[in-house]
Amino acid sequence: MIVDINAFIGQWPYWPVRATAPAEVVAELAEWKIDRAVVCSTRSVFVNWEDGNRETEAAARSYPQSLLGFACLGSRELSHKLPTGDFDFEGYQRRGFRGVRLYPQYHTYHPLFDLAVDEICEDARARQWPVLLPLRIVMNWGMPTLDPVVMEKLVERHPKTVWILSGINYLYELQLAISLMRRFETVHLETSCVMGFEAIAKLVQQCGEERILFGSGAPIQHGGANLAKILNAHIPDSARDSILSGNAIRLLP
Amino acid sequence: MIADAHVHIGKSARVQIDIDGETLIRIADELAIDRICCTDLTALFYDFREGNRLLFEEMKRFPDRIIGYATLHSTRFGQAMLDELDRCAQDYGMRGLKIYSTPESSFAEPATIPILEKCVELKFPVLAHATPQECEYLLSYVPECMLMMAHAGCQPFAKGDWNRAIMAARKYPNLYLETASSTIDLGFLEQAVAALGPEKIVFGTDTPLLDPHVQLTKICDTKIGAAALDLILGGNILRLMGLQS
Repeated sequence: MIVDINAFIGQWPYWPVRATAPAEVVAELAEWKIDRAVVCSTRSVFVNWEDGNRETEAAARSYPQSLLGFACLGSRELSHKLPTGDFDFEGYQRRGFRGVRLYPQYHTYHPLFDLAVDEICEDARARQWPVLLPLRIVMNWGMPTLDPVVMEKLVERHPKTVWILSGINYLYELQLAISLMRRFETVHLETSCVMGFEAIAKLVQQCGEERILFGSGAPIQHGGANLAKILNAHIPDSARDSILSGNAIRLLP
Repeated sequence: MIADAHVHIGKSARVQIDIDGETLIRIADELAIDRICCTDLTALFYDFREGNRLLFEEMKRFPDRIIGYATLHSTRFGQAMLDELDRCAQDYGMRGLKIYSTPESSFAEPATIPILEKCVELKFPVLAHATPQECEYLLSYVPECMLMMAHAGCQPFAKGDWNRAIMAARKYPNLYLETASSTIDLGFLEQAVAALGPEKIVFGTDTPLLDPHVQLTKICDTKIGAAALDLILGGNILRLMGLQS
């Protein structure tokens, strides 16, 4: 059983991607023997997060064995209007969402200053929903990044929220993730952008096997290549199983 | 035959590495990589004479496995650089050159031209950590140089722009793309092969900076066909180095 905590459906505006529709993404994941993936529509990232969430919801309903949705949420201040109404978290739950993704790099808000983020984090905490917070969406230097210090401050502000740190690669970024995982048992790391030599083994050595989750970044990133670093990591098989599925299954409510 | 065109050996505080030939061969064995083309990190970032000599010692220990790149850390050493390239070719048996450019100290400048002309004379392919724009600048002066763009644009100074790298390689017949990178965008290899043909793409891992399993899988697990794969995984770099017809 392989569970991917970080995959996508939808168009990719930077270059052509061969799998965009849910059926294509499911087929692509199956080629790499990924059984189930947590997805988010890229429409949520690049157009409007609520429109994208409807696509994510529909995809998860169409492929309930293969896809699970995290709701992409962001600032409620749109078109220079003050926010009206609250997030309908109960509604998201009824619609099948089981976690949240934040993309402040793309939604032009500061996660420490926008009150909506605190609202999201605290509601997620109450529901035990993981919040996936990416430093970068995929490992490509053309993509905007989140300041790692902002990531640290946000986790410190909401220490009881279940965090999945995402988009981590460089040594200092890994050091931040390790530091946060040591300080807060709620913090986890997904592996889609971790590319360093023996990085998975070092993470397991320093943080234990229970806080690392396999993520592919597929179909934007090569899911098979991302899987190879887990399958070939110099770690005990029990750790491999935890990373590939056990931790995700435990974490997803 | 799998040959890894991009491997580092030696010590560097800058990239947190301290690794010898024996360890690198063990890693290569794990991935069934037959030959590794190495550049010494002391030569890359500190003292080219010392570093190239250290690499030569490792080449002697593993003559069937390690292929050496002569390496220069600067373009500002005049005739001494050209003499070093001669020494690396004649005394050390090295088969190429590695150079590393940064925005703060770009080698897209006139001082690099005689180095590339020397490489043409020595039949050295040049593995250049460079942006597409830097490669174009250099090839506009020395178009006959066999220039391999390390990381194929997928490095910080090139903003990960592999599409721009492909465009540059289309423009210059002697510009090749080397594949090692933290970037593993799905479809990159297929698009590069479609645009350039497999002859212009060279497999590398950037071991021990990057996870070589990721680097090998992103090449092997693609839809490009076995013949193309053979060229990319080893045929091209060995041909460029004059080690295979």
